[in-house]
Amino acid sequence: MSLKNTSSSCVIVACAFFLTLGGCAHYPVNGPSSRHDETPRYEFAPEANGLNTDSLFLCLAFSGGGTRAAALSYGVLEKLRHTRLTWKGVEKSLLDEVDCISSVSGGSFTAAYYGLFGDRIFEEFRPKFLDVNIQRTLIWRLFNPINWVRLASPYFNRIDLAAEYYDEHLFEGNTFVALAQPPRRPFVIINATNMVNGERFEFTQEQFDFLASDLSSYPVARAVAASSAFPFLLSPITLKNYPHVEFQLPKDYQAGLHDYDDNRRRYYWAKNRTIYLDDEQYPYLHLMDGGLSDNIGLRPIEAAYRRTGGFIRRLINEGRIEKLVIIVVNARTVEKDDLSRSESPPGILTVAAKTATIAMEHYSVETIETMKELRRERMKAQHNLAACQKRLDQCPGSTPLPAFATTIDPYVIEVNFEALRDPAQRDDLQSLPTSFALTGEQVDALIQVGQQLLEESPDYRAFLEDLMIP
Amino acid sequence: MEYLLVHFPRSRRVLIDDEFNGRTNELIELEAGRHTVSLGPPYDNYEPDEYTVILKNTSALDPREVTFELKEHE
Repeated sequence: MSLKNTSSSCVIVACAFFLTLGGCAHYPVNGPSSRHDETPRYEFAPEANGLNTDSLFLCLAFSGGGTRAAALSYGVLEKLRHTRLTWKGVEKSLLDEVDCISSVSGGSFTAAYYGLFGDRIFEEFRPKFLDVNIQRTLIWRLFNPINWVRLASPYFNRIDLAAEYYDEHLFEGNTFVALAQPPRRPFVIINATNMVNGERFEFTQEQFDFLASDLSSYPVARAVAASSAFPFLLSPITLKNYPHVEFQLPKDYQAGLHDYDDNRRRYYWAKNRTIYLDDEQYPYLHLMDGGLSDNIGLRPIEAAYRRTGGFIRRLINEGRIEKLVIIVVNARTVEKDDLSRSESPPGILTVAAKTATIAMEHYSVETIETMKELRRERMKAQHNLAACQKRLDQCPGSTPLPAFATTIDPYVIEVNFEALRDPAQRDDLQSLPTSFALTGEQVDALIQVGQQLLEESPDYRAFLEDLMIP
Repeated sequence: MEYLLVHFPRSRRVLIDDEFNGRTNELIELEAGRHTVSLGPPYDNYEPDEYTVILKNTSALDPREVTFELKEHE
């Protein structure tokens, strides 16, 4: 009896010990802003490096969609790598000319891996990610008793286990300093969504400045985990918002806050960023899947083009861009509709899941069309100026019209299963699930079709013809 | 988009909201709204120091125009 009591006591003490340890488990917290000027800032590199030029400016947007999106965007990278060109007398691949990649969710794995490791992606990414059943691996981690203890802590959750796995097996423990140093392109923008206001949150130092936080020491794996934290399956990633002791609001944000009547888009952009300045009201923020605010990752590129301080806008106005190419890799699928076949209304779980995800595709088409309208607007302005100048040239002594720093050729190219001509192939790919577990054959098909869709895109063909690439 | 033309007797980089963004005597394409406009270095040879403009309803053929003068000692 005494021995039995002793055993029970030992079990209770052991449980209490492990639970106490578990209670200590905590996610890695983002650090405060550095006071050292030499701390690298993760932002767009103002000077092109290596074979990259400003004059041919190429940006990629990688959509969400789990491994499906990661494989499709990987196929596009391969296609760009094998497309050779001579630009300004230098032979290179189109991949050498990629200046920025903006990504959400599944696309963020490809974007971050390429940003960190460059061409190593073509040897390593398939065996380390695309061909791995990530879901099963993460579920196995849940069965580890040590992790039960850790998950008992209110400061450690399923997403932290996932981020640990990505950090150890995929991103090799790298933080954003590895993307920031040496300064280089492409500038990879990993996007998540702030749960509170539904706003896009990007892992750049400009965004982290509003949290008075240093991005350079933050693990890339956690940014990718936030970007792909699908509602219900994974919990949010939490960031700390530090007191803004030395923060100075940049002038374009100050101006934007006065633009309620003149530019509502700019006003809300400034206002949504500045809410973080109230660090007493918002000491923490919780981030979920980037697809909840923009499921194709195009909005940061649109902002870089449209915004006065955007890195694309400034290069255009400085006359440094001649050809602007934006490739949107959209792994959108068409969900089989079973709801409409049922007379009875859906249950609460179905409604909850639908409510959380139904908006993810709402604005994708709109965002692409907006980007195309911006392209048309620029081309029209250039055309009008040229046509008027031609008329004026016939008038002796007339003063030349003011001109842009340079005339640009903009292209907006979309890779989308919808463009497949073969209905059977299209249906097959559009019915692939959003998961992190696809078969080798499915991954093969997605990589191949990414290359095929890009090659067959009329806008891409026009761009290649412009460059005189057969 | 909106359009701004900054006149100055010389070709000089233009600062919009404290960031370099185009050159004088060339069309500068910007988003609508309030902006501060000044010139790049040397900072002591032009006037006024800066303009605050609200860009709205402009076009490439009818941009908002501001003029900086070269200071006399130049």
